[in-house]
Amino acid sequence: MKRIALYLALFAGAVVSVAPYLMTLNSAFKEPAQVLTTPAWEPAFPVTLENFAQVWSQYDMAGFLLHSLVYAGAVTAGQVVFSTMAAYAFGRMSFPGRDVLFWGYLATMMVPQIVTLVPLFLIMREFGLIDTYLGLILPTAFGTPYGIFLVRQYFRTIPRDLESAARIDGAGTLTVLVRVLLPLSRPILATLATITFITTWNTLLWPLIVTNGDATRVVTLGISALKGQHSSQYHLILAAAALALLPLIVIFLLFQRHIVRSIALTGLK
Amino acid sequence: MIDNITYDRSVQGHRRVERRLAARVRAVAEAYALLAPSLVGFLLFLVAPIFGVAALSLFDWNLMGAPSFVGLDNYRELAADPEVWRAVLNTIYYVVLNIPAQTVLALLLALALNRRIRGGKVLRVVFVLPWMAMPVALGIIWSWVFDPRYGVVNQALGMVGIDGPNWLTDPAWAMPVIASVNVWQYTGYTMLILLAGLQAIPHTLYEAAAIDGTTPMQRFFMITLPLLRPSLFFVLVTNTIGSFQIFDTVFVMTQGGPGGATDVLNFHIYQQGFQLFRSGYASALAMVLFALILLVTAAQFLYFRKRTVYDFS
Amino acid sequence: MSRKIAVSAVAAAALLSLAACGGGDGSDSTGGAVTLRYAMWDEVQKPPIEQSIREFEKAHPTIKVQIELNNWNDYWSKLQTQLAGRSAPDVFWDHVSYFPKFSKEGVLTDLAPLIAQDKVDTSIYDAKLAEGWKVDGKVYGLPKDWDTIGLFYSTKALKEAGLTPADLDGLTWNPADGGTFVKALQKLTVDENGKHADEPGFDPKKVKQYGLAMQAPTGQQDWWNFALQNGCTLQDKPWGRWTIDQPACVQAIQFVQDLRLKYHVAVPATVTNPPNGPSLDQVVGRGEAAAAMDGSWMLRAFDTALPGGGFGVADLPAGPIGKGSVYNGLTEAVYAGTKHPKEAWELLKWLTSERHQKAVAQAGAVWPGIPSLNDVFADAWKAKGVDVTGFKKAAEGTTMGYPLTEAADVYNVKALDIFNQVWLGQLSPQNAAQKITTEANAAIK
Repeated sequence: MKRIALYLALFAGAVVSVAPYLMTLNSAFKEPAQVLTTPAWEPAFPVTLENFAQVWSQYDMAGFLLHSLVYAGAVTAGQVVFSTMAAYAFGRMSFPGRDVLFWGYLATMMVPQIVTLVPLFLIMREFGLIDTYLGLILPTAFGTPYGIFLVRQYFRTIPRDLESAARIDGAGTLTVLVRVLLPLSRPILATLATITFITTWNTLLWPLIVTNGDATRVVTLGISALKGQHSSQYHLILAAAALALLPLIVIFLLFQRHIVRSIALTGLK
Repeated sequence: MIDNITYDRSVQGHRRVERRLAARVRAVAEAYALLAPSLVGFLLFLVAPIFGVAALSLFDWNLMGAPSFVGLDNYRELAADPEVWRAVLNTIYYVVLNIPAQTVLALLLALALNRRIRGGKVLRVVFVLPWMAMPVALGIIWSWVFDPRYGVVNQALGMVGIDGPNWLTDPAWAMPVIASVNVWQYTGYTMLILLAGLQAIPHTLYEAAAIDGTTPMQRFFMITLPLLRPSLFFVLVTNTIGSFQIFDTVFVMTQGGPGGATDVLNFHIYQQGFQLFRSGYASALAMVLFALILLVTAAQFLYFRKRTVYDFS
Repeated sequence: MSRKIAVSAVAAAALLSLAACGGGDGSDSTGGAVTLRYAMWDEVQKPPIEQSIREFEKAHPTIKVQIELNNWNDYWSKLQTQLAGRSAPDVFWDHVSYFPKFSKEGVLTDLAPLIAQDKVDTSIYDAKLAEGWKVDGKVYGLPKDWDTIGLFYSTKALKEAGLTPADLDGLTWNPADGGTFVKALQKLTVDENGKHADEPGFDPKKVKQYGLAMQAPTGQQDWWNFALQNGCTLQDKPWGRWTIDQPACVQAIQFVQDLRLKYHVAVPATVTNPPNGPSLDQVVGRGEAAAAMDGSWMLRAFDTALPGGGFGVADLPAGPIGKGSVYNGLTEAVYAGTKHPKEAWELLKWLTSERHQKAVAQAGAVWPGIPSLNDVFADAWKAKGVDVTGFKKAAEGTTMGYPLTEAADVYNVKALDIFNQVWLGQLSPQNAAQKITTEANAAIK
């Protein structure tokens, strides 16, 4: 009896977890009038692609998604490469100023994004990078303290013997990093890449400030503007929201193992 | 380290020292070469802006004309600004709505999943599914779910004869609705962290306690809760800091309304900075937020230092 | 696993290089052609404008025009961020409430030398419109359009209430009992049992259709009109201090609150308050309100929501001191920092030309900035069975423009918040008037 109650509770939790996704997707396939007249849980019938076609053709949805892909893709690439490099220096090498710097990095982890917003905007203005991809990407592309910390902690779990063996064979630092450490660090790098991509894809505040034109408008800005224009035309804005969420769901399902593990680990430092 | 190098006065020793010094210099150069990109990003896009915001908070500037130095006027103004206090209280209200609900739910789920149950792995993934969603999209979806006329919630309430409120335009309900987005999004995430903490508790403890004839309730309060404290504290602190920075859902759903009921600190700073273009005042507000978060983080650090020794060897 | 990473890495590297190359600002020259950015906020006007711009591009093969659309709530924040970031659109819609700040900060191109050089005839524009955009002999924009406020009604709802369009003309309101205006709105308000608001047994909690819908981020489409009709002036003088706390203004605000909370004839603020509320064409189109106070620029939207003669336009009621409407006009302006001043001027000339404004008027989008084309606009709507000449009569009668102030940002942002509270019944009109007056005046240096 207790067992049944337990399963029921878990099942209810699972339903709540996926219901908003399912209802959104379901309604996005309904005809405009039906979105308003039928309850969200009623399956779409007849199924129509009209809403998607409309956001795709009347609003530059493809452009929004592409701009976000470039933004998130570039930040992810930069984050993985540069965080790994910095993590190796911090975790495996000794040099003057290391500890001070590392503490400095850690200390900035808690600085809220909004704090640096205005100065960052002014820096980008001086560089002439307002409304450009570079302006969007640069602040987070060189590796964030979070990413560096994550990889450094992982590097430190890899036995030094492996590295020493390669050193004795005459391998340089870069070779050691690429040949020895990287192959062993795939799980953490996949995790870092996934989390960075998701976070960047979801970012609103920085794009809101640094890009205002259509040429670089990312999907967060695109759909929030759409909501501003059509606050009650749910068939449109739900289809747009579904399109914005879709890539995340795909990535999540591909990398869910890493994500679940990495979240579990964050509490057990 | 340099000072560890022993000096040898013999010529041969000198050469050896030179060689070792050269190797050492090369190693340091290599380290800094590896560090260089992140250091550029760190100094230019994190450190410089932090000093920048402190400096800007002493000016009055709309970002177009010439800035004028006003000393501490911005701070004086914000201390007396009722809207700032409203924003602080709104932010705290949001945190209070958010964190207890989210933590208790997450703990219950974690306890349930910590038992041997079928489909536990799948359920874990399902519960984390909300975590990755885009807050902007969630804001859109929630606006629809809580639409007074066309939303699921009021439709469901209507079926049991309840006339649901106008959620997002009712000042009493707007904040709870916005908080519910975050509870939905982060409960699974919090649950995972707590579950990992639960799984780290040795089974033998429970077995011994069971032999002693304790009830499950007693075991929960005497073993589970005390041993889970580090994990619990961690999620409480990090989720609280995260909640302090709520912006996206407010921006999409209410723009701080109705009647300022959801005007939280982050949104207020954004509004001062990029709707009213009072960048000096916004910077002063940002400094206040920064100080608040610094306090919370310092508390967290002091607490954790007791237990964790950071190893920088 | 490793293949997945390799593929991701290659894709990411490709994206990074794409980002590095593609980091243009949208106005880069491509193949000798110049791309101009043109910013606006009204989606309803976009299609006819876009069509006419295609003509312009045909005539100027080296110029491409990219329209950047942001709704009113986002537009000013974005435009000013762009101006601050020195990356503003080359040509944009300008509004009288932001014009003072922009002219002071030097972000607008002075058109006077260009007008002289190309011998542009500016006498074709309404003098009242054109004059407002001149400062010390400098011209910071040419008229795009003008607008007044009217009472849009659903013909079906009117018929069901047993009223004729003529019944809506000549209505009056007063602060004491609401006058004939409220009486007419009561007839148009129906509850779920079919009872009207002037009948016994009417249930104000279960209203099916309200008489009136109102929504205005600044006040332009709602209480400013009643204020004008009640003898209130928002400022003591142009460029002066706000005087919203005077009794005539407070009464007007009170009246708008009363329409919702006392008479129960206006759609509750929980539905209409911006930014979440649906636009009024939707509210009337769905049958939630019989009529709406809205601007002439909304005609096309109402035509879409209530097609085939489903709507008409009546005059606003008269108040204690008579009739009156807010009158406003926009200009087309050129960004002072544009990289393509010559091309931007060409585009501006086109946008303020008779040919362009005629095309836009023919599509029924907005009343043109060139008065000789007013009939084109009126005829376009006459052909659809809608008499829009009331807007023109209103423009010729007592009007009030947007307040001239350098502190428009503060007023606009605060007013949205403060008046939303009044319409919800959380703030008294008196307190709201004092609050907005104090706060907006504090921003005047």
